[in-house]
Amino acid sequence: MAQTILAVDDDLDILDVLEMSLDSDGFNVITASDGLDAIEKAKSHVPDLILLDLMMPKMDGFEVIDNLRTDSQTRAIPVIMLTARSQVHEKLQGLDAGADDYVTKPFDLKELTARIKAVLGRTEPAKYINPLIGAMGDWFSETGVEQLAAHLKTAATIQQRLLPQAPPRLTGFDIDGILRSSTSVSGDFYDFIPLDDGSLSLVIADVRGKGIPAALLMVMIRTALRLVCRQESSPAAVIKSINDLLVIDTEPDLFATMVYGILDPKSLTFTYSNAGHCHPLHLTDAKAHKKRIFGVRDGTLKIHQLSTGGMVAGSFDFAEFENETVQLAVGDTILFYTDGITEAERDTDNAFYGEERLQDAIRSSRDMSAAMICKTIEDDLMHFIGKKQQTDDLTLVVVKATTDVEED
Amino acid sequence: MFQTSMSQYDTPILRVNGKIIGNTVDSLRHEMKAQIEQGGGRLILDLTNVPLLDSAALGAIIATLQALKKSDGRLVILNPQEAVQNVLAVTRLDTVLEIYQDEADAVSAFN
Repeated sequence: MAQTILAVDDDLDILDVLEMSLDSDGFNVITASDGLDAIEKAKSHVPDLILLDLMMPKMDGFEVIDNLRTDSQTRAIPVIMLTARSQVHEKLQGLDAGADDYVTKPFDLKELTARIKAVLGRTEPAKYINPLIGAMGDWFSETGVEQLAAHLKTAATIQQRLLPQAPPRLTGFDIDGILRSSTSVSGDFYDFIPLDDGSLSLVIADVRGKGIPAALLMVMIRTALRLVCRQESSPAAVIKSINDLLVIDTEPDLFATMVYGILDPKSLTFTYSNAGHCHPLHLTDAKAHKKRIFGVRDGTLKIHQLSTGGMVAGSFDFAEFENETVQLAVGDTILFYTDGITEAERDTDNAFYGEERLQDAIRSSRDMSAAMICKTIEDDLMHFIGKKQQTDDLTLVVVKATTDVEED
Repeated sequence: MFQTSMSQYDTPILRVNGKIIGNTVDSLRHEMKAQIEQGGGRLILDLTNVPLLDSAALGAIIATLQALKKSDGRLVILNPQEAVQNVLAVTRLDTVLEIYQDEADAVSAFN
């Protein structure tokens, strides 16, 4: 691709000569006849190099350089000064201001071309690096930090909007979830997707790592899931698609654990596949029917772990996944969670919250609404970690089969 | 946090002490790389004294395993403790990693 040169001179004859000469050397040439015009064109075209006359009306070359150096977009463009005078201090002033080279008028066109090529060769790598350094420099300045904070806030808002804004409505079920990020953006997510046949697909996922990289991957997975879940009816096939997509698009150390499943209100079943994620807990009251008939609470609770599936998604192209269909009964509860819950540590002794404590919490709160169960477990966990800062994202999703719960 | 030694079949053993979480993961990645270069693509990663590792640490181990598989190398995990074993079981990484409880077994795997 031809390189673009912005030639700036108030002498239109010189501009004509420059334009013809550089054009025949294979450059794209744009011209400006005063300082203001030069700045405008530098910003709109971002040329590869600027030939800049120092003595011009309205705004001289020094001011032009100053202005270009304060804008991150034009900061790195190399400048060759054209000067009618050959005073040393003039040249030094120009080089001080940030010009890369100078040519004295009247100039030899061959010499000028050689200098242009030399400067372009020298500054080529900087063209790619400088904008990065520029951006990082901006971050570390006061306004930069403010800007970064503003960007993060925007990112967090976008991400919040990608989470379910209200509990899903599904006949015979009471469903809710919460997500508490440890940083402004999160690698955890959960989602509910109503399917055309009246069933509801549900996902909880934990993307490797934390912060911005995890959040980017989370957005990618969520988007892909929403598309794939309409093409594949088997949860294992949905997860396999996500796995293969991540294997192609990311390094093997970037992966996600997730549970994807479909709640069918007609058959009262949950069909799922678990990709290396913490096993959801399915609480079932073994004698629920007896209880309802005789009004007896005998507390025969069983907890079944939903562990069928396969490996973490995104690292191995050979990963295979399986489905399991769980028959639900009225009164059953399924608790989905991320490891931020069980690996949360207590402030006093660094003990983990752990699965047992979580099982106790769900047992004792299972008669509450899904929203209240989430809230109760979250409160219990926050109380447990005490003064300790939350170090990982925490996510909980609760599904309760409630068809005739009102009769109780 | 890291100790290294050379086993009798010229396989480096990298012993880690402490949780592998957060910034520690980068150090682990570097240490593994350096030892693998020394060991000609072979490494025993001793997790006896690792009470916990996070998902980024798992990522580093997966990346190492994948890189070694491509170059006919070999990674052996030694003696993961209960919490780490659980993580490896839940993520099913125990199905792709070569894990030994006993150091002599891990060492002679390279015989």
